[in-house]
Amino acid sequence: MVYWFRVILDELFIISKPDVDLSRNIKARRRSELQAYRTMGDGRGGGGGNRPAWLQQYDLLGKIGEGTYGLVFLARTKLHKACIAIKKFKQSKDGDGVSPTAIREIMLLREITHENVVKLVNVHINHADMSLYLAFDYAEHDLYEIIRHHREKLNHPINQYTVKSLLWQLLNGLNYLHSNWIIHRDLKPSNILVMGEGEEHGVVKIADFGLARIYQAPLKPLFENGVVVTIWYRAPELLLGAKHYTSAVDMWAVGCIFAELLTLKPLFQGVEVKAMPNPFQLDQLDKIFKVLGHPTPEKWPTLVNLPYWQNDQQHIQGHKYDNAGLHSYVHLPQKNPAYDLLSKMLEYDPQKRITAAQALEHEYFRLDPLPGRNALVTSQPGEKAVNYPTRPVDTTTDFEGTTSVQSQQVSANAVSGSVASMAAPRPGPRQIPMVGMQRMPVGSMASFNIASQAGMGLNPGGIPMQRGTAAQAHQQQLRRKDPGMGMQNPGYPQQKRKF
Amino acid sequence: MAANFWASSHCKQLLDPDDVDVLQPLDRERGLTQEEFKLIKIHMTNHIWKLAQQVKVRQRVIATAVTYFRRVYTRKSMTEYDPRLVAPTCLYLASKAEESTVQARLLVFYIKKMCSDEKYRFEIKDILEMEMKLLEALDYYLIVFHPYRALLQLLQDAGMTDLTHFAWGLVNDTYKMDLILIYPPYMIALACIYIASVLKDKETTAWFEELRVDMNVVKNISIEILDFYDYYKGDTCKGEPVKGIPEERINAALNKLATK
Repeated sequence: MVYWFRVILDELFIISKPDVDLSRNIKARRRSELQAYRTMGDGRGGGGGNRPAWLQQYDLLGKIGEGTYGLVFLARTKLHKACIAIKKFKQSKDGDGVSPTAIREIMLLREITHENVVKLVNVHINHADMSLYLAFDYAEHDLYEIIRHHREKLNHPINQYTVKSLLWQLLNGLNYLHSNWIIHRDLKPSNILVMGEGEEHGVVKIADFGLARIYQAPLKPLFENGVVVTIWYRAPELLLGAKHYTSAVDMWAVGCIFAELLTLKPLFQGVEVKAMPNPFQLDQLDKIFKVLGHPTPEKWPTLVNLPYWQNDQQHIQGHKYDNAGLHSYVHLPQKNPAYDLLSKMLEYDPQKRITAAQALEHEYFRLDPLPGRNALVTSQPGEKAVNYPTRPVDTTTDFEGTTSVQSQQVSANAVSGSVASMAAPRPGPRQIPMVGMQRMPVGSMASFNIASQAGMGLNPGGIPMQRGTAAQAHQQQLRRKDPGMGMQNPGYPQQKRKF
Repeated sequence: MAANFWASSHCKQLLDPDDVDVLQPLDRERGLTQEEFKLIKIHMTNHIWKLAQQVKVRQRVIATAVTYFRRVYTRKSMTEYDPRLVAPTCLYLASKAEESTVQARLLVFYIKKMCSDEKYRFEIKDILEMEMKLLEALDYYLIVFHPYRALLQLLQDAGMTDLTHFAWGLVNDTYKMDLILIYPPYMIALACIYIASVLKDKETTAWFEELRVDMNVVKNISIEILDFYDYYKGDTCKGEPVKGIPEERINAALNKLATK
């Protein structure tokens, strides 16, 4: 049989078209890329002992955050003195290995490269305690802190150039993700990072891909996996019980973030109903309806298919809302292009909601001030740039998140002081339940001598350090680059000559 | 990129046929032969398959697990990485990557149920430790593309959906080889369609011509698949595992490694 088949094969292959030799292209590419095989990680996670070998390449500066998955540390590479954020994933408590969240985050981040998406520079494993570390380029700021700084310290809005640049870059990164069939699903100000001083100053980086998914197959709702995310940026179709995610849910979140950049406060600050699984979030919908008016099946045809709308147990269908207007909430005239774009992002019907690609083409981005690569400089010469505070660093926490032998030598005062300065959970959307998070044992809580390791001397009180204060003086002198000068990124909107 | 094969890490990592099926020096020192190396890989592919049927995961998860398994042994020795532990751990890792997590304790339970041989039995702890080592060995590249989706689309396009079952079985059998490490998945799908159409006497010349793909590659893959069937002469072509390998040969090969 096989012989007979071969004969036919040989005859048929006369039709082959060698002019499009795809395999040759692959081979050519592969050769060079074979080298890149072992560039990631060090191939040996350290083996025995609590101090894995890979740790030697970093100076650990301290802890900068914590979440459901574990802790985030700030470190500096000894070789290039580059700042790196290291996210530590703990072994899940239920004895089921590396958390699926970590697996998916690695899986996606290992594939994607974009200027406006956070860059995974390394992955490390500590076999001794079965923990996993993701090393990212460090971003000094995030939208949560930038907005908070304006609201609480400066009492004035973020300048229009900065808002527009931040939004444009956020959309640019999101367009890349969506065109590669990835939905982020948890966009919120604290997940939108902005680079501090350096070559990439003021560049937006979308972060936290733990909940992101490729949507070749329909995605199940997050709550079915018991995942808790903030409801303030959740799209109305999800609040009404839609069973599947589309990329439109990310655009709703961008709309909420845009409004927050304009007004400095969350647009829809609903009170969350805490119950499992996925309770009906009446207050959140109520907040949305008050601003955007009542949704109608005429404007949103698939509304009638949504479970919570159908059930109508809370009588949401009959509820009457005054015709308040989004424009009055964001203090923009209805003819303003910014308002026009915002209203298109906050479109009820997910099918009519503006896409990231469409949004990038919107008139708003073609009008002065034009968006730029460094969002944190001023648009007008003479205008003062804002000095955003650097991230507080808790220098008392070791990589293990606990104590170490050296800590015994630190005085008792230092120990008690350090507890108070532990990065307190932030108010609002950042407050995430500490599921699977081991609280640090207060009694044994002591400062591992990271400070001396980092050449900073001791920090006995464990006071969060503001880094780069000297460098901040320079920031005043930095101006947005002249159009056409050094703006190498071809992706940015066409810069018009002003003069 | 995640949803585009040509920009994916999978595509970038495709290997030259000469770079797969290469014995690691350590394994050679133990006296493992090229043939035995192949046999162990086939045998462990079947092992993953059977285990997957117990814990009930989708075809995709199995295919990803087998791909991980085969990738690992292009870089690591069987002496250091016991295939009897690597196989179930690949299934474990693939189940997480493909969003249908199977608990480690379930795997341990079913392995014990399936295998009387002590050398196949592991504890949860072993699997969790190996999971970390596998992540490293795979260089954290976890996205894998498979021929299945392309197969269905291509058959639809060719108007030959009646071949689906047959061609699907052929695709399943390609995982008993290292083809997934060498060729783009859609080319593997095309080769399977090609074999199926010829065996079922379908006229496809015009359709293949229109695709404008390199038919030499399709030919090479087809021949490799046929060689494989020819050589291992099992009851195949029905998506069933190859049954032709005597247990003693497998055991003799594994004993050379003597890792446990």
